[in-house]
Amino acid sequence: MASATAYAARRLRRGWRSGELVVLALALAVAVSAVSAVNLFTERVRAALEAQTGEALGGDLLFRSRKPLPDTLVAPSSGVRSVDTASFATVVFAGEASVLASIKAVGEGYPLRGSLRIADEPFGPAREAAGIPPPGEAWADARLWQELRLQPGTAVQTGASELRVTRVLENEPDRGNGFADLAPRLMINAADLPATQLVGPGSRVEYVRLFAGPPAALAPLLEAEPPENVRRLRPQEARREIRNSLDRAGQFLDVAILAATLLACAAVALSARQYGEKLRDEIALLKTLGARQAFLGRALVAQLLLLGTVGSLLGAAVGYGVQAGIAALLTDLLQLSLPPAPLWPLLAAAALGLLMLLGFAAPPLLAARRTPPLRVFQRVETGSGGARAIWLAALATAAALLWLATGDPKMAMAVLGGSAAALLALAGLAWLLVLALSPLKRAVGMSWRFGLGNVARRRRATVAQVAALGLALMALLLVSVVREDLLVSWQEKLPENTPNQFLINIQSDQVEPLRRFFTERGHGEIELWPMARGRLVALNGAAVTADSFDDPETQRWINRDFNLSWGTALNEDNRIIEGEWWGESGAGQPWLSAEDYAIERLGLKLGDTMTLDFAGEAVTLTVTNFRTVGWDSFKPNFFLLTTPGALSDAVPKQWLSSFRLAPENRALLRELVAQFPNITVLDIEAMLQQVRGIVERIVTAVEFIFLFTLAAGLCVLLAAIEGTRAERVRETALLRALGARAGLIVRGLIAEYAVLGALAGLVAAIAAQTVAWVLAEQVFRIPYGPRPLLWLIGTLLGACVVAVLGWISLRPTLNTPPKTVLQQA
Amino acid sequence: MVARTVVAARGVGKEVSSGGAPLTILGGVSMEVAAGESLAIVGRSGSGKTTLLSLLAGLDVPSAGEIELDGTRIDGLDEDARAGLRAGRVGFVFQSFQLLSGFTALENVMLPAELAGLADAQERARAALDRVGLGKRLDHYPHQLSGGEQQRVALARAFCGEPAILFADEPTGNLDTTTGTQIVELLFEMNAARGTTLVLVTHDAQLAARCGRTITLRDGRLDG
Repeated sequence: MASATAYAARRLRRGWRSGELVVLALALAVAVSAVSAVNLFTERVRAALEAQTGEALGGDLLFRSRKPLPDTLVAPSSGVRSVDTASFATVVFAGEASVLASIKAVGEGYPLRGSLRIADEPFGPAREAAGIPPPGEAWADARLWQELRLQPGTAVQTGASELRVTRVLENEPDRGNGFADLAPRLMINAADLPATQLVGPGSRVEYVRLFAGPPAALAPLLEAEPPENVRRLRPQEARREIRNSLDRAGQFLDVAILAATLLACAAVALSARQYGEKLRDEIALLKTLGARQAFLGRALVAQLLLLGTVGSLLGAAVGYGVQAGIAALLTDLLQLSLPPAPLWPLLAAAALGLLMLLGFAAPPLLAARRTPPLRVFQRVETGSGGARAIWLAALATAAALLWLATGDPKMAMAVLGGSAAALLALAGLAWLLVLALSPLKRAVGMSWRFGLGNVARRRRATVAQVAALGLALMALLLVSVVREDLLVSWQEKLPENTPNQFLINIQSDQVEPLRRFFTERGHGEIELWPMARGRLVALNGAAVTADSFDDPETQRWINRDFNLSWGTALNEDNRIIEGEWWGESGAGQPWLSAEDYAIERLGLKLGDTMTLDFAGEAVTLTVTNFRTVGWDSFKPNFFLLTTPGALSDAVPKQWLSSFRLAPENRALLRELVAQFPNITVLDIEAMLQQVRGIVERIVTAVEFIFLFTLAAGLCVLLAAIEGTRAERVRETALLRALGARAGLIVRGLIAEYAVLGALAGLVAAIAAQTVAWVLAEQVFRIPYGPRPLLWLIGTLLGACVVAVLGWISLRPTLNTPPKTVLQQA
Repeated sequence: MVARTVVAARGVGKEVSSGGAPLTILGGVSMEVAAGESLAIVGRSGSGKTTLLSLLAGLDVPSAGEIELDGTRIDGLDEDARAGLRAGRVGFVFQSFQLLSGFTALENVMLPAELAGLADAQERARAALDRVGLGKRLDHYPHQLSGGEQQRVALARAFCGEPAILFADEPTGNLDTTTGTQIVELLFEMNAARGTTLVLVTHDAQLAARCGRTITLRDGRLDG
């Protein structure tokens, strides 16, 4: 063993000096640095985005309880800030008027993340608040101003104390969007709370303690079990639309990592194959001198491990440096302050590098071990011995790597399946094209004849090269397709016309006058949804209460009224996942459609019955289908839907509406409130802006990471072209000795790579679209249609990129002096 | 009638830098080769034979002196101009055959004729391969041929473009005696048939003896 290792070390040193191992080590280093840079950067962006969405909670971590929070729950270190809030419902009086309001008493420093937005009058221009309401003052939201007919400075009676309302509270970061359940808000200073005498034993107060600080400092709070009856909430658990955005971002970033991993594999496989070919002469000679296969195997494995360690460490170091540099450059653009880079992605990437080397580099090198010693006399073809094993090893490794990189087997299989299909398609098409090229080369000029001739002559090499280039191009195109199409589709989910106003408490006899109100003012038709509020009283005929369930979340959920709507058409953002939608034929049937959260909480199955109590009127409905709902669409959506006519006339009904109102037309709301005083207007423009802002930042981050993967892809493309360097040098020297001018060689080279690139680009475009389509359908669940233009773009892009890269990379070989032809014995 | 000079060197020297210190490979070499003449350059290993050949053929430029190839001064020409001059006028036979591995025998032989822009490159190549006895191996790749066969393809390539001058560098160096002898026979036969000027580097005394004239290099200088 010692002698094999010593030989391996000597061989590596020599290989490094002669440059033949540089490409393999470089490919590995590029791979590891790409994966580690993407992983590191992704990890930092993920952490930063999570911190960003702390806005949705008003802090990075929240503890909530129905009882005062224990004093033991404190900031674990000086780097963590904390603040308490207390919320409860009470009736607020202003002169003759009174309204059930939700009071929120906040401490100095609230909110820890995000900011309060206030205005001087309802629907007036909003601005960021410098602090919280001073003692003796209160801030009321527009709805409370409207319902209590408030004027600036009006005193409101809250429990035993009187407070002056001085500002309109436009937005508080942790308000949430459960609009229908919320009473209008009155925010007061925590110092004024005792004087109200509203908080005491038995009062229904929700106590909240918010914490904010660096993730490491918050860790003790996250690790410890929360005190009894205290619920802990992290930002990503807080609001559905934010959570969905983060999940989506995670999936996009996973695609970026997959692309980088695949590119890396292609580079390592290519370089290893080239190195294996170079080794064959030497192995034949060693065998002639008496070396056994076992010795050669040990020596090869030792070489791989040494090379893998050096390449992985180098790659990890470069990856760390690259991501740090880019993060520094882009901090402003991303509008994110990135936390320090963790070290684990580096170790993971280095391990990935070693695995990659064993899966992709070891098989072709070990196959070289079987070179017959006869080769020292004659260049015998050693056949494709072990070729199947090489492919299987590569495929299994790729699958494992993709799975490890994303942790999502479905996505890994989609990308791997697409790549395997692409490779086969690439190889098949390349073969056909090579056959078609032969007659073509007689009809073109000298340079093209050389270029085409080279492509056509080296049939096997061409097929392999097109497959490798095609894979790299496919990854590049996949990245651009995903960026262009999938991200746009996602952004379009919150288009400019997303509703920003909700009207609730609309009575049935107000539906027509309300429609007229809008059409007469040139606003166009508004959409209205009917709604009834009921409480779940029985499941499959058995009575249920909150106590029937163990899970606290279900208990809370059951205790609320359910909003039930009805209709024959589904909202566009709803998808039936089980059963069938009833459509027009369902009218009058006692059927129920439940959102999948209801399945999760209640363990529902198709055919179950739910009995709901609508203000004393019990209605039993049978579950006939389950839906998923795009909660991030900002359209009114309902956990439960039934058919029109299923509820009797005795059930009290209301309507609600949502529409888009340009901020400059907000005066229309004042008119609306004057004409329909009982209708409540909910203005969610500020919340919408917040979500849109987060989506935009995520998109920028994802686009940037894709750019990085793109650069990694270009490196691999270069590595593929670099693999032909030695042959180029020899050819160029000979052609020049035989009298070929530099121009002819350059044009021939460009023609050759343009043809290779065009071919690879065409199939890559088709394959990338197929993978994108599968991803869109199966993973992202967003609509995606074929783009034939991409085929043309792929072909042209492939031709140009590969020709230019080929030229840049091989230009130095064109200066090979012809005399070297005499030195190559 | 005095034959025209097709290759001439006047005071040619070549120096390379070795570890900072200049190393003289060739010094003050002057010689001429007349049209149709065959010249052997002999000498020990390291005497500068191959360097002189590469300078005469315009594969490299001298550090000092003048070189004329087929009536044109080439020492001042750039790489591309020298390549253009070689196309169609100069043929090569190398010790290590130097066939392009991705090209068939026919395609290898066609190369110089194609580079010279000859329309009938393929016909010429077929004829040349026929001439060296490989008319039935046109579509074989170099790795499918033995060493002797590869050198015969190289000979066919050398003569295919009907060059005025043929440079050969140890043409039998990689072959056994019998095969080497066959190749030498073929080389001189084809050379005689076409009246090509031959400049040949060898350390094989027998091969040198087949040439009309021999010059000997010792430590980079002409001996005698």
